[in-house]
Amino acid sequence: MSAPAPAPRFRGIVSGALLLVASGLFGYFGTLPVPLGAGLALGLTGAALALRAQARARLRAIAPVPALAALLVAALASPLGLLPELLAGMAGLAFLAWLADDPTRPAGGLGRARMTLLLPALALGIAWASALLLPSRAAPIGVAGGLLAGALVALAILIARPGAFDREEATI
Amino acid sequence: MSEALPPAAGLRWTPLAFLLLAAGGALLVGGVAVRSPVPLFLALPLLLAGPAAAFGGPRGPPAIRVERALSGSLMAVVLEGRAEVDERTDPLDLEVSLSDPEGLTPTAPPSIRRTDRSLEFEFRWQAREPTITLVPSPRIVWRDAAGLVERTAEFAAPPLVAERHPPEIVRIGAVRLRRTLAVPGETRSHRVGATGEFYGLREAAPGDPSRHINWRASGRAGRLLANEYLLDRTGDVLLLLDARGSSLGPAVDERLLALSRAAAAGIATSFLREKARVGVGLFGEFLSVVPLGAGRAQEMRVRSRLLKARLGPPGVPSERGAVAVSRYFPPGLTTILFSTLADDSSVDLVRHLRRRGYPTIVLSPSSIPLEAERGTLPADDEALALRILRLARRTQVDRTWQEAPTVDWEDYWSLERFVELLRRPATRRLG
Repeated sequence: MSAPAPAPRFRGIVSGALLLVASGLFGYFGTLPVPLGAGLALGLTGAALALRAQARARLRAIAPVPALAALLVAALASPLGLLPELLAGMAGLAFLAWLADDPTRPAGGLGRARMTLLLPALALGIAWASALLLPSRAAPIGVAGGLLAGALVALAILIARPGAFDREEATI
Repeated sequence: MSEALPPAAGLRWTPLAFLLLAAGGALLVGGVAVRSPVPLFLALPLLLAGPAAAFGGPRGPPAIRVERALSGSLMAVVLEGRAEVDERTDPLDLEVSLSDPEGLTPTAPPSIRRTDRSLEFEFRWQAREPTITLVPSPRIVWRDAAGLVERTAEFAAPPLVAERHPPEIVRIGAVRLRRTLAVPGETRSHRVGATGEFYGLREAAPGDPSRHINWRASGRAGRLLANEYLLDRTGDVLLLLDARGSSLGPAVDERLLALSRAAAAGIATSFLREKARVGVGLFGEFLSVVPLGAGRAQEMRVRSRLLKARLGPPGVPSERGAVAVSRYFPPGLTTILFSTLADDSSVDLVRHLRRRGYPTIVLSPSSIPLEAERGTLPADDEALALRILRLARRTQVDRTWQEAPTVDWEDYWSLERFVELLRRPATRRLG
């Protein structure tokens, strides 16, 4: 296979910085000691950014793995509360934005991925607003769990039948 | 040539989408396990991103119209193309990829330019040695900006054929060949020129050599007249490829066979353009042939058969090849044999052909440049090894010369010696 052109090194800096900040804050507010929590989150996210800057396509392909690992560790070690919930959602969106701003793809990825970002952002907004406004402490888990269950059922159907997305006849 | 459609044109989830799904599932389980809503809030965007990307993209396979063309010089092969997309597809989300064709090495990263409604691409390769190879259709894929879902574009584009051979091959068609059938069909091709049988008179032109001036006719006419000659350029030729495996090993054998295929394709094209009749034989385990024929259809048949030529097993008896040739082709047919001459059985094939009345000329691609490429020994030992290889090769070529004129083809980008040999009167008498 012909090798693709090398990626411009300075593209994707803004989304990378956003992911670094979101994941660092997420780790900082966790239950782990600050040097460990924030350090682990920043270290893994930094590793993801470094992998994406590599010229070899195989290394670039595994760049999302350490970034996801950082978010997973931070989420499982996070205390209960509205701020960590908001930070978790924002970190997830920052991760998606970083994925869309791939320097090896044509510029403007963030704009073209608006649907990929807006739909989860809308769901997050509903879930977080419910957690904020509903009185009971058990309510946020219920609302978020209900949303997740619905999303998972929809996902199971859609992933099992990708043809469900094929509705229009393409013509030229 | 058959048209090729890329497989699986529906929506596909990429490995990244599955990674996000797995992470989302793990967070869901983790959130329930630690009785915390925070992992659920992180899981939500990860789980929803894939379907959201699918809803945001085209709802069917992108319809694309592709135009391509091959160009390049002696060794360079350039594929330039343009894909026009429908209004529902953003060219910025299209990715083009193409496997490197056999025998071609990429010399530059692919160049891809996108405009509002189209995508222009350019792939550049270099042929290491003469080659004839299929350049497949590029794979054009729509992929969402986050890289979670993709659809392969549908378009019909048959593979193109890239041919690169030594430049002298274009002159080879001018060689006079012997005709083996009294009524060969509509393949007559005459050329009026400076050689051949006497044809007529014309006004002398500045630069005509004095021996072309017909002095008697000039004396009668009172002005200078020159002789014109008629050359009958049609004839028959068999291109026989010895595709049996040899002691050189499959890797070297494959490359040498690829060289022979390229040379055979070039020589066939050159003779067919002169309206000669060309037949092809591929002797692997058995003989497969393209019977003698002329014209553009024959050119396509020959090219198609050569592209399918594959290496046969070693140890196939040489006599089988010669006997099979005599079933399909008349004796006396000028035969160009492509053989590595790596083993004694290659020489045996020449002998058997000659005994059955086929005047044969051997074009033997040498394995020495390929051995030199490997260079596994220290420099001094390598030089010594190559000298020994050359001596052994020369001995083998000399042995073959006793049976038929033989050209040791070591400089792959030149067939000068072969063309010169064919044009020599002594060799022509073979035909």
